[in-house]
Amino acid sequence: MGHHHEKDFRLHGEEFDPLNNKMDRRDFFIKTSMGIGALALGSLFGNKFFAKNRPAVSAATSDLENEILRALPHIAPKAKRVVYLFMSGGPSQLETFDYKPKLVNLLGQDLPDSVRQGQRLTGMSANQSTLPMVPSFCKFHQHGKSQTWVSDLLPFTSKIVDDICLVKSVHSEAINHDPAITFFQTGNQLPGRPSIGSWLSYGLGSDNENLPTFIVLVSKNAPKDQPLYARLWGNGFLPSKHQGVQFGSGKDPVLFLNNPEGYDGEDRQEMLDYLSKLNEMQESAYGDPEIDTRISQYEMAYRMQTSVPEVMDVSDEPEEVFELYGPDSKDPGTYAANCLLARKLLEKDVKFVQLYHQGWDQHNSLPSGIAQQCKATDQPTAALIMDLKRRGLLEDTLVIWGGEFGRTVYSQGKLTANDYGRDHHPRCFTMWLAGAGVKPGISFGETDDFSYNIVKDPVHVHDFQATLLHLTGIDHERLTYKFQGRRFRLTDVEGKVVKEILT
Amino acid sequence: MLLDIFTFSGRLHPLIVHLPIGFLIIAIVFDILSYIPKYQNLKPAVSITLFLSFIAAILASVFGYLLSLTGEYDLNILESHKFSGILFALLTGIYWLVSIDTFNLRSKMGNRLNSVLLIGLGVLLAFTGHQGASLTHGQEYLSFKVLTYKSRNKPKTINEVLIYEDLVGPILKSKCVQCHRADKMKGDLNLESFSEVGKGGKSGHAVVAGNLEKSELFRRVTLDSDHKEFMPSDGKPALTKDEVEIVKFWINAGASGDNVQFISMKDHQRIRPVIESYVGLSSSSNKLEAIPSDSSLLNPDIPTDINMADINALREKGLKVRIMLNKPLMLDVTLRSNSGIKLPEISPVLLKVSKNIIWLNLSENEIADTDLNILKEFHNLEKIRLDKNPITDQASEFLVGLKKLNAVNLNETNITEKSLNILAKNPNIKTVYSWNSKHK
Repeated sequence: MGHHHEKDFRLHGEEFDPLNNKMDRRDFFIKTSMGIGALALGSLFGNKFFAKNRPAVSAATSDLENEILRALPHIAPKAKRVVYLFMSGGPSQLETFDYKPKLVNLLGQDLPDSVRQGQRLTGMSANQSTLPMVPSFCKFHQHGKSQTWVSDLLPFTSKIVDDICLVKSVHSEAINHDPAITFFQTGNQLPGRPSIGSWLSYGLGSDNENLPTFIVLVSKNAPKDQPLYARLWGNGFLPSKHQGVQFGSGKDPVLFLNNPEGYDGEDRQEMLDYLSKLNEMQESAYGDPEIDTRISQYEMAYRMQTSVPEVMDVSDEPEEVFELYGPDSKDPGTYAANCLLARKLLEKDVKFVQLYHQGWDQHNSLPSGIAQQCKATDQPTAALIMDLKRRGLLEDTLVIWGGEFGRTVYSQGKLTANDYGRDHHPRCFTMWLAGAGVKPGISFGETDDFSYNIVKDPVHVHDFQATLLHLTGIDHERLTYKFQGRRFRLTDVEGKVVKEILT
Repeated sequence: MLLDIFTFSGRLHPLIVHLPIGFLIIAIVFDILSYIPKYQNLKPAVSITLFLSFIAAILASVFGYLLSLTGEYDLNILESHKFSGILFALLTGIYWLVSIDTFNLRSKMGNRLNSVLLIGLGVLLAFTGHQGASLTHGQEYLSFKVLTYKSRNKPKTINEVLIYEDLVGPILKSKCVQCHRADKMKGDLNLESFSEVGKGGKSGHAVVAGNLEKSELFRRVTLDSDHKEFMPSDGKPALTKDEVEIVKFWINAGASGDNVQFISMKDHQRIRPVIESYVGLSSSSNKLEAIPSDSSLLNPDIPTDINMADINALREKGLKVRIMLNKPLMLDVTLRSNSGIKLPEISPVLLKVSKNIIWLNLSENEIADTDLNILKEFHNLEKIRLDKNPITDQASEFLVGLKKLNAVNLNETNITEKSLNILAKNPNIKTVYSWNSKHK
């Protein structure tokens, strides 16, 4: 088929040579001015970096020099990859990690004003005549060498407490789901900024050109009470090749990746070569970065035709692995299966894997709701840590677990002998981090006896983001992208690295 | 008002002064070219260009005189510039009269003599121009001293920074010396060198050690910028906030000079971030967070220098090279699993950058024990992955001597308990992964 196009495109045939060799006034100015610009640039950068040992300059080495000059790690990185287990809906800290035994004696009492300090409540509980406090329905026990208190709802996580770093003093500014998740993922409550994974992809690039740098997995076995919008893993104003790619659980994990029916795909590479030439012509004519994205995504999709089925295939995994991750792990799309898949992606050096598990929004019937959530996630989460650890991957992988906010100490709705609910609470909640560069087996930050206010070492969402970037080698103040006349950062104008939890 | 127009016109002198120069050069070029038969037709143009040069020279002289009235210049040079300038204008006028056909003087004098005189006019012009340049830029501007002058190298660490040579001196040089120098001496003040600064000027001591109030220089640069006595005057760029801070620190700390290290001065810690950013040493924009500066945590043995071609050679061999940090140059090198590449094939290229490799991943590549003897050269290696290779306890012998190593992955290999015992001899090795190996 290809013989029609032996010499690239017809327009470049001999008969067009005179035309192609003509340089019009505009071309002349563009080319000469670029030449002068390049000269100026060259003298700016020249010799500064590698004055000695300069080999004969080839295109490749000067590219490399640029790469090194631009090389983003501002700080020697500890984490090569990140997996973020996002517990969407706002898991209650009171039933998981923030043990408040004194609440047992306060059952049913009204939340003291001295604790609430006039804080505005959500519309869902602001009209309640009383705010009766309620302790955790489940018991807590101490685990591991660190003697960390963990709820009985998390028997598997209890086994890995010595590998994780609990941060009990995270606080956010947003009080409702979408702004709060958007704030966590993009550093701003309003939609439109790039997600953390997009920033990392933009800043650090890819370690595996056969798979996307930023992959998103959403659990299918979770209540979909609050929506998750794809913009949460969007690239915002960054070039769109940095957006998260969601892998589905069905027959086609990545949609539209397979060849269409009736097409054997044999000349796919050839077709793509011509297509990228056409696109390059467009690119040089219009200079639209989205065309670059298109070129690279076509090529990525082609490579993914083999790499994705390979990484999704779990038939090689021994039975012992499925036992580790729990019974759900054989059912693709469940949280357990996604945890296993996350491990496989991390093994392939995918930079950022983001899991979402919805359904933590227990405004009512919290005891039964949270028990169900924990059952679905506890074992696979712990299994992921154990699996990464024994394989030596926890050495340079950062694992993050957490939601967008916590829940109130008082019951939302009617408090009965064995049922209650909890409203949104952004003033304090618990997250944990594990792996590369994070101190294992510690708890950081403290809340008051009501788990309502932070009394020690508050960690703002921007501080968490700054710390995450720091572990991957990025100074959060220096990773910026200029858009509409302003330089944007993930942490906006705030954020402070929580150095106390770093090794 | 009238004076203002004069001053303004005077400032046009440096612009107009280039017109007679250009016209004369054209006249000379045309005159010489006209000896070639092909360009004979240029001859008549010499006269008219000379006329233009004459008119422009008169204008330049008038404007130059107006400029000289501002009295900002060295008198000796000014006198000779004025004299040679007016002389040039006169001679050009005379020469023009000679060249026009009306008087037919040129043919009487002979063509060659004419041309020689014309070139002589050019020499006079060059002299005049040089005098003028000396007035504006100073006599040192285009001297051999400048050609051989060796500027002080930029300090590489804060320890090398000298208070006068690297900080105060350059500030004075960029903001003050244009007027306060030996051949201009405005206000009888010279700020060109440390010893001269001490002498002060018309208004008294420029700098009094430890006393900001008595230091005239500091008072002047910190006045309101509308103030009559504010320096630099005439709307020239003022000192920046950082520069004022530096001068203030210097005067307070004793206004010392000549090889005084910044870090040896009292209270230097307070101003250190300003200094670091001023001389371009600051590694991070983040000064409020007391994160230990990374360089102190890094291994000083890692070379900062690397041959570009060596990294490319690694990539051409199919290795994934990730740059972990650029100063020093730390590399994370991965041989993708089941690459089909034998380690001995890539050993030479790996060895070339062995000291820069901090993380190395060779998992699942059919590596044998003997292949690993090269690892002894990887002195700065911190993490190594050798999992899923048919290696045995012998491999550990090559690893135990690596001082910086802290994590070794020997999962799914043929190692036994013995390897763990060998590696235990190195106290830096914190973790040895041996899952699914033969040791259990």
